[in-house]
Amino acid sequence: MKDIVLKGKNLKRELIIYLFCFVITTGMNIYSIVSYDTKWPELWLSLPIVFLLSIVIYALSGLFRFIYFLLKKAGVHLNILPLKK
Amino acid sequence: MSNPISRRKFIGNISALGLASTLPFMSTFSFASDLSSPSNIVNVGIIGVGSRGKVLLLNIQKIQGIKIIAVCDNYDTNYKRAISLTRNTAKAYTDHRKLLENKDLDAVIIATPLHEHAHITIDALNSGLHVFCEKSMAKTAEDCNAMVSAALRNNKILQIGHQRLFDPMYHKAIEMIQNKQLGSLTQIRAFWHRNRDWRKPVPSPELERKINWRLYEEYSLGLMTELASHHLQVANWVYGAAPISVAGFGSINYWKDGRELFDNVNLVYKYPNGNHLVYDSLISNKHYGMEVQVMGDKGTLEMEKGNYFLEHPPAAPGILQLVNDIEKGIFETVPIGGASWVPETANKVKPTKYHQTQKGLPEPTELQFHSFANHIRENKIDEENLKHGYNSSICAIMGHKAMLENKVIEIPDNLRM
Repeated sequence: MKDIVLKGKNLKRELIIYLFCFVITTGMNIYSIVSYDTKWPELWLSLPIVFLLSIVIYALSGLFRFIYFLLKKAGVHLNILPLKK
Repeated sequence: MSNPISRRKFIGNISALGLASTLPFMSTFSFASDLSSPSNIVNVGIIGVGSRGKVLLLNIQKIQGIKIIAVCDNYDTNYKRAISLTRNTAKAYTDHRKLLENKDLDAVIIATPLHEHAHITIDALNSGLHVFCEKSMAKTAEDCNAMVSAALRNNKILQIGHQRLFDPMYHKAIEMIQNKQLGSLTQIRAFWHRNRDWRKPVPSPELERKINWRLYEEYSLGLMTELASHHLQVANWVYGAAPISVAGFGSINYWKDGRELFDNVNLVYKYPNGNHLVYDSLISNKHYGMEVQVMGDKGTLEMEKGNYFLEHPPAAPGILQLVNDIEKGIFETVPIGGASWVPETANKVKPTKYHQTQKGLPEPTELQFHSFANHIRENKIDEENLKHGYNSSICAIMGHKAMLENKVIEIPDNLRM
């Protein structure tokens, strides 16, 4: 069995992606407060929902990245895509 | 005595519930005499110990300040049961007039069939006794008037058995209505549905009318006086008035077994400011059970269940609305053709329970006797209770009249207290 080594570089990248997801969700919260004419205290009262939603988006981003990785690998294998050296 | 309640605990509970604020007569609790003091014992006799009389007797036995010293019933089975339930400690009679001669009595509790209420109540009041009479007061408006006159003339208490007046859940509802939490009221919808013939077993045919008196015109007004009067009282309490007119239909359309009184009634009562009470009762389906639905432009109450529904509940947080709309956009199909009308089915808003029953507080049926005893100790006529008893009885009588005559009955001012 192979050990998974989480490099500092990867961890930093994942954190940045998650933060990006959190910023997007917070933006969605601000947009919804304005467009649905709800109250501004929801900016912090809805933080648990925002946090949950950011995790969902982060997970979705992970899924898409995984699919991209699989496609990329399959493309190289079939000689469709050139492998970077 | 079983299940004694300490005065401090009892009064504490009453005060905590704020009962005194919604009905003036409840204020007697706040300066009630010590309920456990033997010097304040109220001696009562119970006239009529049938099914309801038995319930009242058992409730009274829980109260330290009231002693049952006499019982009366002219039906042998009930007579013997009354003696047994009081463990021979009460003097037993078969004639109420003999019971009224008992000089040790302070008051009588009347739980006879309806047609007996008026004359026994008047006899008791004229004998100088206070009276607790089960609802409805009487079978005719004339009898109701005579009962009230006798109480006032003799300066004695006449309390009618409307236990909802002593129910903390109802008091909370009235408080919410008075605080405008329901907004403007326009309609009450009340119903009482059962699915049984409303008969009791009869040991021999000649006892049919005596035992099943609720089914015959000579003794009762059926569903109106025996069930509806409770909800009529509540509606009058909610609106703070008695109705001015009533129309309705009544039928015997299911239990065609020789009964004379309706097994299916539908009525509309109109109140002075245009508010309505829509009432129905039947004994051939119990799916919806019983309820009093009070409807205002800001909310709805289900008074029997203690549910409160907001007409416009606060919106969900914006972010949830956004997610919901995105989800709809993705998964909801776009209809190309189809129904242009969406059925306006009931609101799916979840109710709020507006009252939690407190442990240790007596049942409303028992509470009404605490109030009765306190009024006797103070020799204070309970006008508010009498008003409720009188108005609801008149409503039941007039409703029955409207159904019998198939016309709108205007309730005259002199039949409203």
